[in-house]
Amino acid sequence: MSGRSESVSTAGRRGADWLGPLLFTVYCTSYAAFVAVAAFATFAGGVPVGGLASEAVAGVPWGIVAGFGLIIGAFVLAVLYATLARTPQDGAQK
Amino acid sequence: MNYETSILAVSIFAAFVLGVLGLSVWLGSRPQSAGGYFVAHGQVGWFVNGVAFAGDYLSAASFLGICGMIAFFGYDGFLYSIGYLAGWIVALFVIAEPVKRLGKYTLADALNSKFNSRGLKLVAAISTLVISLFYLVPQMVGAGALVKPLLGLPHWAGVVMVGGAVTGIVATAGMVSTTWVQFIKGTMLVVFCALLMFLILERGFSLPNTPIGQDEVQSYRKDASGVIVNGSPLSAENQLDTKLRAAHGVGFGSIAQLPDGVRATGPLGPIAFIETFSKSTVTTWKKGTDAAGATTFTPVERKGADLLLPGSSPTFKGVRDDRIASKLDFLSLMLALFLGTASLPHILIRYYTVKDAAAARKSTVVGIGVIGVFYIITLYLGLGAMTSGALDPTDSNMSAPLLARTFGNTLFAVISAVAFTTVLGTVSGLIMAGAGAVAHDLLCDVFKMELSDREQVRAGKLVAVALGLIAIVFGVLFEKMNVTFLVGWAFNVAASANLPALVMLLFWKRTTKQGIIAAMSIGLVGSLAWILVSADTLEKIYGFSAADAASRALVPFSQPAIVTVPLGFLTLIVVSIFTSTGITKPQTSPGIA
Repeated sequence: MSGRSESVSTAGRRGADWLGPLLFTVYCTSYAAFVAVAAFATFAGGVPVGGLASEAVAGVPWGIVAGFGLIIGAFVLAVLYATLARTPQDGAQK
Repeated sequence: MNYETSILAVSIFAAFVLGVLGLSVWLGSRPQSAGGYFVAHGQVGWFVNGVAFAGDYLSAASFLGICGMIAFFGYDGFLYSIGYLAGWIVALFVIAEPVKRLGKYTLADALNSKFNSRGLKLVAAISTLVISLFYLVPQMVGAGALVKPLLGLPHWAGVVMVGGAVTGIVATAGMVSTTWVQFIKGTMLVVFCALLMFLILERGFSLPNTPIGQDEVQSYRKDASGVIVNGSPLSAENQLDTKLRAAHGVGFGSIAQLPDGVRATGPLGPIAFIETFSKSTVTTWKKGTDAAGATTFTPVERKGADLLLPGSSPTFKGVRDDRIASKLDFLSLMLALFLGTASLPHILIRYYTVKDAAAARKSTVVGIGVIGVFYIITLYLGLGAMTSGALDPTDSNMSAPLLARTFGNTLFAVISAVAFTTVLGTVSGLIMAGAGAVAHDLLCDVFKMELSDREQVRAGKLVAVALGLIAIVFGVLFEKMNVTFLVGWAFNVAASANLPALVMLLFWKRTTKQGIIAAMSIGLVGSLAWILVSADTLEKIYGFSAADAASRALVPFSQPAIVTVPLGFLTLIVVSIFTSTGITKPQTSPGIA
């Protein structure tokens, strides 16, 4: 019984081991893309040319859409991680 | 600006602050062991810890600083919100669980878990102290800014009040009490800011009674006879915004033109609010100096859509500049915000107040949720303040409380009290981190003093008092700085000094204690030195003109993280390679022999 529980726990742990880096890479790439667009694709010679200055989405400017996306996206990934990376030990520790 | 005090406002403020203090001290009044004093016995529930994370993290910079920056410059303040929140992803996915497994009381415990090195403990403790002090300064500045309009007291009085109250909390009850202060403050901050956002949306936007002309420059100067405002001595009847209010019915910060030619929008939804702002024109105020040496504020009409793009503030203006150094300054600050959160000592110690790695993970998720909601709200508060007609153009930190005052003195008092407890919560956490670093790391582990449990707690309390006094002095000295700008420096130093060591310790098996000591030392000294000789510091701290500061600066841009974080990683790798046992056996390697 204990051995089975340990192996399930180890499997759950292994899940957390790859899930964390995967989700981190997803978010890191999104954040880097946002920063790069703000720095290099939004202005040329001080004049808005595209990027965050592109036409708004449903009346909301791109900068706000991207910002809200990064904030809400962080929470969504965090919940995903907390749900999928749970191990049987987590339940026992409640 | 007219900062009249109201007995109602002062009473509500006093009741709020004393209530929070009393409740937290009562909740944390059990007898303390060292484990209880420094990490609340590791028994804080994950949900309470998660909200306390938010209470710890949402500092004066987040509330007063970001709202003020959005109110003055639009989107640039929101960039801080995005960066601060993104940093929690590093904390959750990279740092939280391993740090919880490795440590006991402090950051130094985690870093030293494999090595038992006094040198490493010393460097980690110094790093914690320096970063905590850097972070303390803006909190104290924020406290000073708050008491001026509410209580009619000078800046230094607010700094002393916060310093005294926090030192009292930390010196009497330790981490249990600090946790409850942060929990209560985190909850109140989000609830009352959500209420303020609701009121802003209900009010919508409206035009001043009459348009503000481009030539209506407002000015003030100080001379031997006192402060002269718009040519007449400062008085209750002659404030900086008095003429504006008399002529237009609003003070500083208003809508100049609304879409479709309407004079008022009425209530708006969250999306419609942003859309309407984007299509409106806003009257902002440009600071300058006239021939007589007076400080002037000139009205400048700007498109809402432009204010919702980066690059309006001095901090982020590099985004609109084609020079590579300006771009690097922006990238460097965004990198520091991303990497700094997970390296802040007062955040890291909160991983030791829960019982296990799973609780650390879950409390981080709760923290991200609460903090994320708050940062979305800050955008509405900032834009609401920008168009409220109630800004103080001399002090961006006051934008959120002054916005609340447009809804009445009661809400003003409540929001000010919440902001004050915001400062209390964060300063408590910072002083706890510093107290742990000195009492636990330096005295016990570095100087090998034989302290009993009770003596460790006593030492921690004495250190807390000392740190409180130092913070008060700095808080008075840095009165005029925007608190968010100051916090940006703390993030740079934290990311440069701590992150390379933490990450490599967790993920690179060949990391040595010499590598960690070298990386932390280089990261700490390098980032501090960079900041001290940068153009921003020369201008804002040493008082040079912008042109002089730019020509005298010894570094090409002001935010160091993009250089000093990679430098920390490189230092750690090189020193670890040369000091690891696998490499220091040249005889076995024909290549080296």
